Amino acid sequence: MSDLIRLKIDGQELTCEKGVNVLEAAKQIGAPISYFCYHPGLSSPAVCRQCLVEVKGQPKLVPSCYTPVAENMEVLTQSEKVLTARQQMLEFTLANHPVDCPICDKAGECTLQKMYSEWDGSHSRIDMDKKHKPKVKDLGPHIVLDAERCILCTRCIRVCNEVAKDPQLTMAWRGDREQLTTSPGEQLDNPYSINTVDVCPVGALTSKDFRFSMRAWELYTTPSVCTGCATGCSDEIHHAKGEIHRLVPRENPDVNKFWMCDEGRFTYKEVRVRRVAVSQLKGQVASFKSAISTAAKGLLSLIDAKQMQLAGIVLNAQASNEDNYVLAKVARALGIENVYLAGRPDQPDFADDILRKSDRNPNTFGARAIGEWMGKPKTTAQLADDLNRGALKALWMLGDHIALDERAVGALDRLEVAIYQSPHENFISEHVSVLLPASGWAEIDGTVTNFKGITQRLRASVEPPGEARPHHELIAMVAAELGVAIEYPNTKSIFFEMSKTVPAFGHASFGREAPPIQLRFAGSRG
Amino acid sequence: MEPVFKKRVSKATILKLQRKNSFEQSMMLPAVVKGLGVTLRHFFNNVAGGERSEAVTVQYPEEKFPYPPRYRGLHRLMHREDGAVRCVACMCCPTACPAHCITIIPEETGNGNEKRPAVFEIDELRCIVCGLCVEACPCDAIRMDTGAHAHPSENRANAILNKIDLLKNATLNDKDPHSTAIQGGVPAWRDTNKTP
Amino acid sequence: MGILYLFLVPAIAFSALSAGLVFLFGIGLPWIATHSWGTWAMSIWFTALIKMALLLLGIVLPIASLLTWMERKQSAKMQDRIGPNRAAILGATMWGIPHFIADAVKMIMKEDFVPAKANKFLFSIAPLLAVVPVLVTFAIIPFGSDACTGQLFKVVTDTAACGETIPFQVARLDVGLLFYFAIASLAVYGTTLAGWASYNKWSLLGGLRASSQMMSYEVTMGLAILGAFLVFGTLEPSAIVVAQGPNPIHWGIVSQPLGAILFFTAAVAETKRTPFDLPEGESEVIGYFVEYSGMRFGVFFLAEFMEVIFLAAIMTTIFFGGWQVPGLYADGFHIFGNYNMAHGLVLFLQTAFWGMKIMFFCWFQLMIRWTLPRFRPDQLMRLGWKQLLPASLFNIVLTAAVVLWLESK
Repeated sequence: MSDLIRLKIDGQELTCEKGVNVLEAAKQIGAPISYFCYHPGLSSPAVCRQCLVEVKGQPKLVPSCYTPVAENMEVLTQSEKVLTARQQMLEFTLANHPVDCPICDKAGECTLQKMYSEWDGSHSRIDMDKKHKPKVKDLGPHIVLDAERCILCTRCIRVCNEVAKDPQLTMAWRGDREQLTTSPGEQLDNPYSINTVDVCPVGALTSKDFRFSMRAWELYTTPSVCTGCATGCSDEIHHAKGEIHRLVPRENPDVNKFWMCDEGRFTYKEVRVRRVAVSQLKGQVASFKSAISTAAKGLLSLIDAKQMQLAGIVLNAQASNEDNYVLAKVARALGIENVYLAGRPDQPDFADDILRKSDRNPNTFGARAIGEWMGKPKTTAQLADDLNRGALKALWMLGDHIALDERAVGALDRLEVAIYQSPHENFISEHVSVLLPASGWAEIDGTVTNFKGITQRLRASVEPPGEARPHHELIAMVAAELGVAIEYPNTKSIFFEMSKTVPAFGHASFGREAPPIQLRFAGSRG
Repeated sequence: MEPVFKKRVSKATILKLQRKNSFEQSMMLPAVVKGLGVTLRHFFNNVAGGERSEAVTVQYPEEKFPYPPRYRGLHRLMHREDGAVRCVACMCCPTACPAHCITIIPEETGNGNEKRPAVFEIDELRCIVCGLCVEACPCDAIRMDTGAHAHPSENRANAILNKIDLLKNATLNDKDPHSTAIQGGVPAWRDTNKTP
Repeated sequence: MGILYLFLVPAIAFSALSAGLVFLFGIGLPWIATHSWGTWAMSIWFTALIKMALLLLGIVLPIASLLTWMERKQSAKMQDRIGPNRAAILGATMWGIPHFIADAVKMIMKEDFVPAKANKFLFSIAPLLAVVPVLVTFAIIPFGSDACTGQLFKVVTDTAACGETIPFQVARLDVGLLFYFAIASLAVYGTTLAGWASYNKWSLLGGLRASSQMMSYEVTMGLAILGAFLVFGTLEPSAIVVAQGPNPIHWGIVSQPLGAILFFTAAVAETKRTPFDLPEGESEVIGYFVEYSGMRFGVFFLAEFMEVIFLAAIMTTIFFGGWQVPGLYADGFHIFGNYNMAHGLVLFLQTAFWGMKIMFFCWFQLMIRWTLPRFRPDQLMRLGWKQLLPASLFNIVLTAAVVLWLESK
């Protein structure tokens, strides 16, 4: 017997795999079913009773999220009985809901709002006082609970149990006094706690970070990738008026499924901190043009002296594949053979076996692949060693994190030319002779390759500050003054050249274009 | 009337119509005398004054024309019973505003009201007085029923009203700063006690 | 009540002026002339100077500025409004009359702006070229009969026979009205230069419109008045007035009705006021003085109103008996019986009545201005060349035939 099952939904025949529930099967043909408690990434408790459907031969309506498909099943999702049940369940759910949408942060992306307008739309018939429950209840360092808004779907409890593997939430009391609370002696402080906000179909759980800062419909969303660690969770950058307001996970079954860690969500905060907005020459602000020509002159003197063995480049696991590739290509053209790999140092206590990795760089895999294409990449430790020995006269570095100790950083001062392209100011930027302003990860188009070798696309969501521009443009400008003409109309052309020349990217795809869309047109989340 | 000139240009047709003048009209003088008769009548009626005067001028600063009750004027922000701002910073009005003249920055109150605007600014120079903000407000917090005009100002910054100005406007023209209105009226079923 | 100020205010003003004139020329100047130190008082140049000053400063300029108020007030009355009523002197609004003072103060205080690329000399001189011809032409207007000095309190039957007289007219020119046409046609320079010197295409167009309009209508104007010349046999204005006599039956309007209408129409076109205000087009069409502001504009404005007054004066002189009062002869009223009057009183009544006629025609022009809408340029030209010009030629031919027939009889 095959694993494929044939059934009929709303008179339409379809086949699906064994073990799939009716709700997922109905999604395949686009039959609309409303639901609150079901989440494709979690188990199905069938507590909200919103997804009831009629199955031929069954006396009662069945919850579609809890009913696996069976051979020759006939399901009705639009019968009058189902629609009545749906409308009445919504009315029941709303019986004690405060309907304080003006204050609620979820308004605009709320499942309950959406379901109400799609399936109910009638006035309340309750003319007595609603139940009152705790309003602004602190659940943990990142989460605030409004128990009145909660519709008791238990999604957040299952996120803690099944994703974070840390059962910190539970239901207490019974009937209309039932409310969500933390388990005794616990608080909601697991590293995946903000996922509960994402899955919450109403505004019961709100993130302290985002709370009251923006309304959902004012935000624009740009798909991107988290740069917090080597996992490279797919995410969406939610931004408005040139400012990033939050990161939320994007469904990607190969990498992060539906989830993302709290640490990763807060990486947006560093985007605009201590930025390099103008070029500097030896710590002094200089014009962009003079910085580029100073960098080029420094390298030219070495080229003229035929001392290219004293020059080196530093590829960075924080930078995108395209940026690393363009630098490597220029270095090849100039005959530079010293290639070093840099990045953030490992952080073993950050790792867990869910999503987080000890390697805090988004592109270690890609940077190494490009380094190996160039020759034999050396480590940051070897770079420190070479610097201390005085084996280098010129160094061209991509930022922003390079794990050098103080002595090695001090040795940068003695170089004839040290070009450092970085979005952020740090302890290295004070010791280099040429500091060029680069765009950060939220401001560039490009790809990063995670620890599994999956290449994903970063997309520009906000404008870079000041004179900052992408690494590869800076490299191309310096290279142009050195007589190496490389010009790319866009990042895509770099990627396609790279996928042809660098073997590791032979099968990678660049990803589709995704211009920012306003969240009010993107439908509700959660 | 028959057109004396007709030409078709892409999708439009140009017609030139010639009105035929009567002899009296082409003479002009009778028409001039007729027109003078009208103006003379008005002139002497108004010069005579008293009951015969036809002037309807309103002497503006001293006497004012009563505005209709739904006249949209300067904005005001309503008060709660304790004098706090009634607005909950839901951002519906800046969203509805076609001129983007409303700026709100929300904050937590720390009390039962939960959310309120930290900054509430209306740029009266940008405002097109459409009233959509009032329509959008779910809390009946912003109104335009003051019956006042936007004040003239010597620089643009003075035309931007902040939260304090708007709360002061709540009592403009002896209006009640606490009054509540039922948005959308009373639903039909409340009267008939029928299910919808 | 409103009717009172509209007619009484000018009546009182003119009576006072006339009394002053009569006193000055009948008693004041002859008394000075009797002294050894004042023989110059009765010289023709000095009297002409005094008359010119009194006429311009005492009558034309005050009325011209008053007309700015009157126009606003009158248009308001015609359009069911109230009109200017705010400006006040020491709290007295006086039906808004102080508004003309407020206007003048405003115009003088305003920035005197000259466009960057304008021809500064011509730009400055253009308003003068507009206003000077109007002022000069007032020289030929008679505003009273000849005054017999020293006989003010006697009854005079014939002013021509009383010996020493002072004419109530600045310059008694034999060419009279030809002088008027010669000078008035210079006014077109003012408007055309204003339009050209502003360095603005639209004001240049306005200036061209003005010159074409004024030239076109000058033809009709000259021809329309020829009939009157034929009837009265003279070009000298005071002789025309004397020829008309105190009996309204002999006034020009009776013998030359068509000529009067044609002349009035063409002359209104010359003043560039609605319905012939295409050159300035205050509200829609951009006119020749669009670049002018402050008092420079004010001079154009005043010139326009002075033209209004001059038109009223010339209409009065040629067609409405000038200073003649119906039934009032040099020795008194001869209507329903004979009432002899002192020469001074007769002079006073004649000059005052002349002033009332002027005011009436100013008022009438304002009525026309606020009744009729503006012509289109093609309508303007059609009216001027195809209707008024043939009609005026017809008028000349008819008048000449009738005059010939009467003389041959």
